[in-house]
Amino acid sequence: MSSIDITPPRAAVREKTVSARIWQLALSSVEFRIGLVVFTVLLLATLFYPWLSGIDPLKMAIREKLLPPLFLGEGWSWAHPLGTDQLGRDMLARALVGLRYSLLIGISTTVLMVLIGAMVGLFAGYYGGRVDTVLMRLTDAQLSIPMIILAITILGVSRPTIPAIIVVLGLAGWPVYARVMRSTVMAERKKEYVRGAMVLGATDLRIMFSLILPLVLPPMCFVAVLDIARMMIFESVLGFLGLGVQPPTPTFGNIIADGRKYLMNAWWIATMPGVFLVLTLTSINLMGAALERARNAIYGGA
Amino acid sequence: MSLDMVRNEVLLSVRDLSVAAEEGGGALRPILDRISFDLAPRQILSVIGESGSGKTVLARTIANWLSAPLRVTGGEVLFRGRDLLADPIHARSLAGREIAYVGGNPAGALDPTMTVGAQLVEKLRAVRPEITPAEAKDKAIRLLSAVRIPAAARRFHEYPFQYSGGMMQRAMIVDALISDPALLIADNITQPLDVTVAAQILKLMRELNAEFSTAILFICSSLPVACDASDEVMVLHQGRVVERQAPAALVTRPEHGYTRALIAELPTLWQGGPEGRDERQRRDQRAIMSVNGVSKAYETRGKSGKALVQAVRDVTFDVFPGDNFGIVGESGCGKSSLMRLLTGLERPDGGTILFEGENVGAASPARLRELRRKFQLVLQDPYGSLPPQSAIGAILEEPLKIHRIGTPAERRERARAVMSEVGLPADIYESLPTGLSAGQRQRLNVARAMILEPRLLIMDETLSALDQTEQGKLLDLFERLQAQHGFTYIFISHDMTMVRQVCSRIAVMYLGETVEVAPNERLFFEPGHPYTRALLSAAPTLEPRRYRPEDCLLDGEPPSPIDLPPGCAFASRCPSVTARCRAENPALRTRGGQALAACFLVPDPSVTFDEPMEKSDV
Amino acid sequence: MPILRFLVRRLFQGAIIVFLVSALIFTLLRIVPGDPVRLMAGGMAPEALIEQIATEMGLRDPIYEQFGRYVGGVLQGDLGQSFVRPANGAAVGGASFDDSTRSERAKVLDLIAQTAPKTIQLALLAMVFALIIAVPIGVWGGLNPGRLPDRLALYLSSLLVSLPNFWLGIVLALLLSVKLNLLPAIGYKGFAYTILPAFVLALEIAPFIIRNLSVSVAGVMGQNFIDIARVRGLTRNQIVFRHAMKNSAVPLLNLLGVQFSMLLGGVLVIEFIFDYPGLGLLTINAVMQRDFPLIQGIAVVTAAAFVLINIVVDLLATTIDPRLDY
Repeated sequence: MSSIDITPPRAAVREKTVSARIWQLALSSVEFRIGLVVFTVLLLATLFYPWLSGIDPLKMAIREKLLPPLFLGEGWSWAHPLGTDQLGRDMLARALVGLRYSLLIGISTTVLMVLIGAMVGLFAGYYGGRVDTVLMRLTDAQLSIPMIILAITILGVSRPTIPAIIVVLGLAGWPVYARVMRSTVMAERKKEYVRGAMVLGATDLRIMFSLILPLVLPPMCFVAVLDIARMMIFESVLGFLGLGVQPPTPTFGNIIADGRKYLMNAWWIATMPGVFLVLTLTSINLMGAALERARNAIYGGA
Repeated sequence: MSLDMVRNEVLLSVRDLSVAAEEGGGALRPILDRISFDLAPRQILSVIGESGSGKTVLARTIANWLSAPLRVTGGEVLFRGRDLLADPIHARSLAGREIAYVGGNPAGALDPTMTVGAQLVEKLRAVRPEITPAEAKDKAIRLLSAVRIPAAARRFHEYPFQYSGGMMQRAMIVDALISDPALLIADNITQPLDVTVAAQILKLMRELNAEFSTAILFICSSLPVACDASDEVMVLHQGRVVERQAPAALVTRPEHGYTRALIAELPTLWQGGPEGRDERQRRDQRAIMSVNGVSKAYETRGKSGKALVQAVRDVTFDVFPGDNFGIVGESGCGKSSLMRLLTGLERPDGGTILFEGENVGAASPARLRELRRKFQLVLQDPYGSLPPQSAIGAILEEPLKIHRIGTPAERRERARAVMSEVGLPADIYESLPTGLSAGQRQRLNVARAMILEPRLLIMDETLSALDQTEQGKLLDLFERLQAQHGFTYIFISHDMTMVRQVCSRIAVMYLGETVEVAPNERLFFEPGHPYTRALLSAAPTLEPRRYRPEDCLLDGEPPSPIDLPPGCAFASRCPSVTARCRAENPALRTRGGQALAACFLVPDPSVTFDEPMEKSDV
Repeated sequence: MPILRFLVRRLFQGAIIVFLVSALIFTLLRIVPGDPVRLMAGGMAPEALIEQIATEMGLRDPIYEQFGRYVGGVLQGDLGQSFVRPANGAAVGGASFDDSTRSERAKVLDLIAQTAPKTIQLALLAMVFALIIAVPIGVWGGLNPGRLPDRLALYLSSLLVSLPNFWLGIVLALLLSVKLNLLPAIGYKGFAYTILPAFVLALEIAPFIIRNLSVSVAGVMGQNFIDIARVRGLTRNQIVFRHAMKNSAVPLLNLLGVQFSMLLGGVLVIEFIFDYPGLGLLTINAVMQRDFPLIQGIAVVTAAAFVLINIVVDLLATTIDPRLDY
């Protein structure tokens, strides 16, 4: 026994589930709060700004083309805080609409890959043996093709639509979750309460879905927050390569790809949406990192 | 004798030492309260106390190893006259050199990625840089052989994970002694070890104390172990020293009420004599569970390819209705594997397990599920055995739901009934088990097992996580339930004293085999197998020993279950070993009076009816 | 020899993985819409001619037959020929449909062999940069869990992981190359052209290393043997540099093995932005041109590389931590 044998003062009976404790711990951290505030502001902006300001992100106004952002360069205007592009479209409105698609794709993709990964990992980890070998070989095979090669191959050869992008990214991203899920389920399966349920006569499916899954899925979902950000980056990469959501719908990727042509005389077209994207992703990543740490803290110690 | 010489006679002198834990808001909770004692060179002083008494904090304070929230609030620790608390740099320079520390967790005490030898050398050279690597290596190997690690020169190059628990603890003792310290702090060093291994370590420690003239502060929580190990015993209670005496005096004339209670609470092995603990047997009945020639091997993949671990080998015994059947053995003896076979969690490779005449090992999964209503398992770990996120009521109703018994209202009714039967308050029905104590959790486990009204309950180390008082209460509960419901129990345990208290018949397992099966009193007063004698000799008790470890146990290591010798598995540690034992494995044979043992020394009852002669039995 | 048995087993498993990958990609390419022959022959080509070319190339045979032929070729070391690229130099695209003498088309294996060294150079340099950036920050953070260095590591890694590589590439190229004229950026005319892309790539990998290291160092520092090492008399430097770092290396190695595909994904985008003539650019062009044999070839080669790298990672891990099984 390595711990010092002092009994802690009898705390009030803690009757919180693990997930509730993780939430609580994460919420109490500074980084989570910073991320949450920034993210909420951006979310509200993306939901309401284009509508409230009445600016159409697709409306061209050649007379107002290539206006720089506030306070930078000559000819800036309050009407276009982030400036305009080569066709006079408002950059802020475009970036916010881009953010909508980015979030939509990021979140649905992550949900999809967590679901697939969790199922594969659950069965592989619970049954072990041959089931495990087959499922894990498949996972390894999937893991060994760089996700982006797979995605651009499929999207490049077929036509990229939003559902297609979600399915492709989701199908390409599940293996990591399958691995994590498998190892947690394997650890969980060895625990005595599972053995206890077996001795009581519970069937395998009952143990898997009513006992193990509710226990291990929520902590994995917390970590998946980080992947929402990763998937948003992927979405923008696809857009940049011309394989994402197709113009004229603005996305971060295609805005930046467009702006690259005007880099020398209108640097903001390519960089400003990027700053915006970085801000969003950082807020999500801060929340995700706080959740991940909270999860590690609760699983590691306590 | 001059004054100076008297001063020199004290190596360590602790004066009015107080340590407290800082809690939120700057409050201090005292852990140690004005502790004072002296330790002479070459003396062995035991410090005992229950968990929470502050003994580990004391050990760590002296070893210069206190960390937040603990801090010293007063007093001094004088080592050779210099206060360690006032001079942290001096204390730091003594750590590992003059003051050595061995902890209770040998498994995690060394870096797993470096060889044991390299780490011994590293440590010696860190505290005594003047020693060359070659000298350090020689010394390490010499000491490794001194603590009886076989083939020390080869073991020097092995990694920590290749050492068994007992060997690792010996290596840690080498690590402590390699710098020739004046003081060794041994903090719970035998706690994680099996009793026979712990007995070997204690014996070794006394020998080393004589050889290396190191003073030893021996921290432990078991009074019998402390008395066995030391010159003097100091009792710690709620952070204070309540008394200090030589072991014999302490046991016969305890001064403090706490010590008296401690002694009175200890269960006994031989008190009450060889009669009268075995009333419940009704041998005319048919066995409720009959185990015949059961074996099970597991495949492991090691560095050298696949290997078979022979976890259970040819186990045979019968359990009769109303029996309290005990299965005892140390870690690795196969009792957990046997439990998995008995409960149908795994199927045996060979042999049969009949439950009321039906073969559990060959039943279809559906049939097995039905059979499970009639035999249930109560698990060892009170914390891991309950689903962490279900309410207590739901946990209890789950088995009824699984077997589709009753309406929701009936299940609820039934759950409340068993809760009151095992002594759980009704108002925790909706709560999560997180707030329950270990004892309450085990009650819940028992309630969950008996809600299906089984005939047979298998208790897998159910009591080993509980303290003495709580164990007693649960044993009473078991007895009451047995009287009311007619349960039959199988107790799987490593604890000889517990088995002595409750079991009517006992099987002793060693390396996967049942080496002896005998009624309670026969096993304790007239064991038929040398391993049983070794177990009894090592069991912690204050009673005059019927068997002494020196006579009953050799220094060897138990063989690996992967690489079993052809003969008797106990041959490597058996004092009565013969050439035949190494070549041929003895089978269980009857000794009369329903006792069986697997040893060549047991006379064949068909030839002679004399009681076997035991040299240690005089 | 256990190590030989390990190698044989892992190589066998690896072969299965590569086989699965090629089957997957092969099938995908043939069931998704988009006819490569149309692209090869050019928009002007009459339907009948396209059918004729496709049949000649075997593209109208059942998929399993095509796949069988392909696997047969791969086993003999022949990854096939590019649909569009001529053997001598740059891609011509699908200009002339009458030029169907496919013997002049470039071999896939040659194309990969020409570009791979550049990519390996880029990836190795990026890895060196990433380790130089991430190891000190990660270890420092791990040694002080919950305190300032740890916070800094967390904020820094959250920020770095939020930088889209293509955007960062553009911004850094604009700053360092165009405005300050410090480093060359576009194309490849010597080693200097590798530095900026490698740096961008390193910033993409670094946050993962920081996070992994700070978690594992903190974990190791909390372990019993580290705690006890102080009482045993070891110095802080011995504890940190000899024991803590060594024990944290295994999780890091595993991360690098698993994240290999992420590295390659980054390489692809970076090469595209900087017009760096490596495997990544080759892949993107192959996809744009629907050059099926080339896409397949790249997938097979990267899968094989993944397998080999993971074998090496596991071998290294077992040398560091002897408890790990082969």
